[in-house]
Amino acid sequence: MSASETPLHSGGADKRSVASTSTGKSAVEFRAAIAFLIVIALIPAVVRNDYWLGVLIVSMYFAILTGAWNLLAGYTGQFSLAPATFAMIGAYATGLLCTAFGVPPLLGIVAAILIAGLTGLILGRIVLRLTGPYLALTTLSFAEIMRLVASNSIDITRGDLGLAVPGLLSSRIGWYYIFVGVLAFLLVALYALLRSKAGLFLQAIRDDEVAAARSGVDVVFWKTAAFALSAAASGFAGALYAHFAELVTPELGLIGQTGLIVSMAVIGGMGTLAGPLIAAFLVYVLSEWLRDVGGYQLVVFSALVVIFARFFREGLWGLARGAMQRWRRS
Amino acid sequence: MGAISVDLAVNGLITGLFYALMAIGLSLIFGILRIVNFAHGEFYMVGAYAYTLIALGLGVPVWVALPLAFLFGALVGWITERTLMRPLYAGYTSWGLMRDEYAVIVTFGLSLFLINLVDKVIGPYAYRGPPLVDASRIVLGPVLISGHRLLAAGIAIAVILITAALIKWSFWGKQIRAVSQNRLGASLAGIDTARASSIVFMLSGGLAAFSGALLSPVINASPDVGAFPAIKSYIIVVLGGMGSVPGSIVASLALGIIESFGAVYLSYQYRDGFGLILLMLFLLFRPQGLFGEKGREV
Amino acid sequence: MSLLSVRGIVKRYGGLTAVDGASFDIDAGELVGLIGPNGSGKTTLLNILSGLAEPDGGEILLDGAPCHGLKPEQLAHRGVMRMFQLTRVFRRMNVIDNLLVAGRALGLDGAEALNRADTLIEELRLDAVRALDAGQLSGGQMKLLEFGVCFMVPPRIALLDEPFAAVHPTMKEIMGGFIRSRHEQGQTFILVSHDMPVIVELCPRAVCMNAGKVIIDAPTRTVLSNADVIEAYLGGQAA
Ligand SMILES: Nc1ncnc2c1ncn2[C@@H]1O[C@H](COP(=O)(O)OP(=O)(O)O)[C@@H](O)[C@H]1O
Ligand SMILES: [Mg+2]
Repeated sequence: MSASETPLHSGGADKRSVASTSTGKSAVEFRAAIAFLIVIALIPAVVRNDYWLGVLIVSMYFAILTGAWNLLAGYTGQFSLAPATFAMIGAYATGLLCTAFGVPPLLGIVAAILIAGLTGLILGRIVLRLTGPYLALTTLSFAEIMRLVASNSIDITRGDLGLAVPGLLSSRIGWYYIFVGVLAFLLVALYALLRSKAGLFLQAIRDDEVAAARSGVDVVFWKTAAFALSAAASGFAGALYAHFAELVTPELGLIGQTGLIVSMAVIGGMGTLAGPLIAAFLVYVLSEWLRDVGGYQLVVFSALVVIFARFFREGLWGLARGAMQRWRRS
Repeated sequence: MGAISVDLAVNGLITGLFYALMAIGLSLIFGILRIVNFAHGEFYMVGAYAYTLIALGLGVPVWVALPLAFLFGALVGWITERTLMRPLYAGYTSWGLMRDEYAVIVTFGLSLFLINLVDKVIGPYAYRGPPLVDASRIVLGPVLISGHRLLAAGIAIAVILITAALIKWSFWGKQIRAVSQNRLGASLAGIDTARASSIVFMLSGGLAAFSGALLSPVINASPDVGAFPAIKSYIIVVLGGMGSVPGSIVASLALGIIESFGAVYLSYQYRDGFGLILLMLFLLFRPQGLFGEKGREV
Repeated sequence: MSLLSVRGIVKRYGGLTAVDGASFDIDAGELVGLIGPNGSGKTTLLNILSGLAEPDGGEILLDGAPCHGLKPEQLAHRGVMRMFQLTRVFRRMNVIDNLLVAGRALGLDGAEALNRADTLIEELRLDAVRALDAGQLSGGQMKLLEFGVCFMVPPRIALLDEPFAAVHPTMKEIMGGFIRSRHEQGQTFILVSHDMPVIVELCPRAVCMNAGKVIIDAPTRTVLSNADVIEAYLGGQAA
């Protein structure tokens, strides 16, 4: 972060503006998110069960994807329906590099981030002028085409059978902390991005592209950047997941996976830092737990998406913030 | 044109008819609300189940079950409009989600909800709908076709023509077209725009459900059976010019034929990819669709 | 050399010629009223000047260099700032962030942008709503905010499209005073307004358009007593 941001941190020096900028608001969210991550990091002290650690690892996978999609949809207003696709691209990128070319997994993951990011950049450039339903349909088609390619290129990807990918390490706890570390890193990076001028520009583009351009924001650049960064982070998650699961299938790019990501962001509160993160865990862990009691988890969560979108547009985080304000006032 | 080509063309056209039956409703909804209903495939799914379960479970004759499926879809469409679409008229710009995002999320969420609800309540297994007639394959010159498919195609033509006529000449059809052209103007002229939207959703749900019912002997009813026809409908609505009913009918037939020939001469594996590529190309280079005039720049 | 030269600009929409060969020059430090009946092409002309519409003919020179074909953000960086007739603010961002966007995009650092935003908020009396999201403001407050955005970095020329329309008299007063004092400091403006008393009070010079053409360009008093101008307004909507 640039030194020019420091006045925002200068406590009481300029009480007129500190808390009222959006950067001031997101500081609270950031603290909540970090506190939550610390709790997540401490869980293995209590829970040693491989199954539940696995559930939490997958939750973290979704938390990264949800955060990446939130950057694009929640902060930049670009409603892509392809977030799971970039995870799939990342997973196949490292998977194919490792199996076909013997690239070491760590290098494969780095390459996956770059390949997914570049694909996102190209897609972002292509759909630059599309908005709303047109953007949603185009990205949905892109997602379906990619999935068709993955499952039909049987000679290369082994199709729906899936591609066996070399593992990275065998310890569950090890994987757990890899995911915690990556999630924490991406959270801090996202926060830094949002606090810089980029955060202002992306949100300006979300609210009104013409007004953003009038204010001097390079709309093409920042929109493309949001696509590329979001895709790169999703590709990162997908690549990690590939080596964790030691298997890559086209199912990673199913539209249902995107549905889960959208659910998490909407229930948590789009355009907030902590909401989607917490909701990713809530939704995934609860759904694993509900699976044992009747299996109504997906019914419940999809109903929640509709209800939140209809009645609580700011999500759980918005509800919590509202409750806090009412409590403080009384 | 060789015998194979005739067979491919006829079968492609018939597939296109089913696509049209499905896509008209999606196009009408886009026309009147400027949104894409991502739960459109689930209206189809509801119809497939309604027909199959009513006919098989209750032992009702297929000719009764078929219109009942339409009514069931219309009911789901009506409920959807009443409970979820009303905020769209308000513009939704003050805070939280914006209008377009709201429409995408809420219909996408509804789609997931209906799929999972049916999956839990009825079960993930596929049910085969009873065919309308038992005649097996019929040979018409070079064309080989099942009796059910032929009959269903005839019904599809009839329903499409009736729908088109209703939209063109009936009282509500005219109201709907007026609202689609200019919602504000129509409401100033005293048209009940909310009622018009309700009717569109009922018609849309009914038509999609009807196609689900009609095809259930071929594509068995299962929770996610709507995904495939929904994607075809998106493609068609884009090719036909978003919101144009005649455009979507022509686009449906074209897509049916393209897929039919493409599967044989280009690639069988990627037969479902042609349309998706066309969709992307159209949205990027010809958003007004096949026949539309270039709209005003926004 | 004048700051801005508009030379024979033509803009057609289908069969309709919205701007029909408009020409005028504006020198640095001028405050020019752009008037004309509804539909006479004022907004369309500002759209072209701010890079939102491509002219079908003619050229625009900024400091003597042609500038049509530039994108709105490029023009913003060259000092062309524009206020819209239909207010455009970032509705889900608060007042201060709305101002910061322009400040940071036009090259100020964080501290400087915050300072300017605070000064503007004070000058425009938006203190009470500084932390509210722009979507929650009244129509007049939104106009004031958008007005402020144009002056985060003093522009070479400010294009204001009906800033006073449907605005509370107090806020009109604030904007009017702001325009007057900046004009005295040498700021250049084009001010579109239907409010003739304000035009007379603020603008030494006025350009009147009718049916896409500039019908007169003269000192404001002369323009208002001109027979063609009276005819244009009284004659109702030009065809
Ligand atoms: N995007 C557009 N498409 C079609 N016609 C337009 C468009 N923008 C403006 N016009 C027409 O151009 C003419 C001039 O409009 P405008 O510049 O808004 O006038 P003013 O601002 O002087 O009231 C009007 O007749 C208007 O209807
Ligand atoms: Mg105007």
